Amino acid sequence: MKINIIIAYFLMSTGAIFAVITVLGLLRFPDVYTRIHAGAVVLTISAVLVTLGTAIYVWEFFLSMKVLLIGAFFLFSNPMATHAIARASYSREIALPNEYKIDEYFSYLGRD
Amino acid sequence: MKKKLTHIAVITILAVSGAAVFFNLKVMSLYKDIPRGISRYFISFGLQDTGSLNLVTAILYDYRAFDSLGESTVIFGAVSGIVLILSRKMLPVSSHGLSFIVKRTLGIMTPFIALFSIYVITHGHLSPGGGFQGGVILAAISIIFSIVYGSAFDYKRYSPQMKTTMETTGALMFISIGVLGIFFEGFFLDNLNFLGGKAGTLISAGSIPIINIGIGLKVGAGLAIIFYSMIQKTFREEL
Repeated sequence: MKINIIIAYFLMSTGAIFAVITVLGLLRFPDVYTRIHAGAVVLTISAVLVTLGTAIYVWEFFLSMKVLLIGAFFLFSNPMATHAIARASYSREIALPNEYKIDEYFSYLGRD
Repeated sequence: MKKKLTHIAVITILAVSGAAVFFNLKVMSLYKDIPRGISRYFISFGLQDTGSLNLVTAILYDYRAFDSLGESTVIFGAVSGIVLILSRKMLPVSSHGLSFIVKRTLGIMTPFIALFSIYVITHGHLSPGGGFQGGVILAAISIIFSIVYGSAFDYKRYSPQMKTTMETTGALMFISIGVLGIFFEGFFLDNLNFLGGKAGTLISAGSIPIINIGIGLKVGAGLAIIFYSMIQKTFREEL
C-alpha cells in the first residue's frame, strides 16, 4: 500500500468522525445557536478533510486541483451561510436566548 | 343535406392526408429506420447528423428546435404576465442587505458563479447542461445581488431595462438563426452545418451553441425580471 493512500484514508476517516460529532451536537445541544455551531462543523471541517483526502487519493494534477477548488468553495461558503442564518435569527427575534445573563451581540449590533 | 356533404368532404380530406403522411413516412428512404423506433435512430445517427456529443441537446436544439422555441415563448409569456400583474413601475426597492461578512464573501464568490454559468451555457453541446440550466445560474447572480446587497444595488448594476434588452436579444438570436436556416439549408430552424467544426471541440455542432447562448440570455434575464417583480417592500431595513 502506497503512502499517499494511507494518508488519504486517514484524512477521510477523520472527516467522517467530525460528521458523527456534528450529528451528536445537533441531537444533544439545547438551543438554536449552539445547534447552528454544531451544524457548521460538517461542511467546514468534515467536507474539507474529505476533499483533501480525495485529492491525495487520485493524485493527478488537474483532478486534484478540481477537488481542492470544491473544498475551497466549501471553506468559503459554509461559515458565511451559518453566520447569515444566526444573525438573521437573532435580529428577526426568531430565537432569543432569554435565559442567558450576558448578551454581547446586542451591544455589538449597532457598530456594523 | 349540404351540411352532411361538408362533413363527408372534411372527413375524406382528413383521412386522405393522414394516409399520405403515414405512407410518405414509410416511403421516404431517408427515414427508413424510424418504424423500428425513433430513439434508435437518434442514438445511431444523432452525432453524425448534428455534430453534438450531448444527444439531449441535439434533440432539443436540432430535431425539436421548434418545440424549444415554443418553450422560450412560454417563459416570455410568463414574464410578461407577472410584470403586468405585479408592476411596481420598475422603481428600486431600497434595503440594506445582509451583514458585512456576507457581502465581502459573496463579492469574492460571485465572479466564479458567473464563470460557471458561462461555462455551462457554452459547453451545452459537449457536457450536461445547456441554455436553460446556465440561464438559471445567471438569474441566481441577480437574486444574490438583490438579497445580499439590497435591491437598489441590483437596480443600479442590472437595471430592468438592461434585463429586458438581454431577454429580447436572446429571443432575436433564436429566431434569426431559424430564419437563416431557411436561407442556407432550406428549413426553418435547420442546423447550419457549414458553421460546424470537428465533433467534440468547442466550436462545433453548427448553430447549436448560438441557440444555447440565446436561450441562456433569455432564461437568465427572464427569471431575474420575475424575481425583481416579486420582491415586495416588506423587507425590513436592517437585518
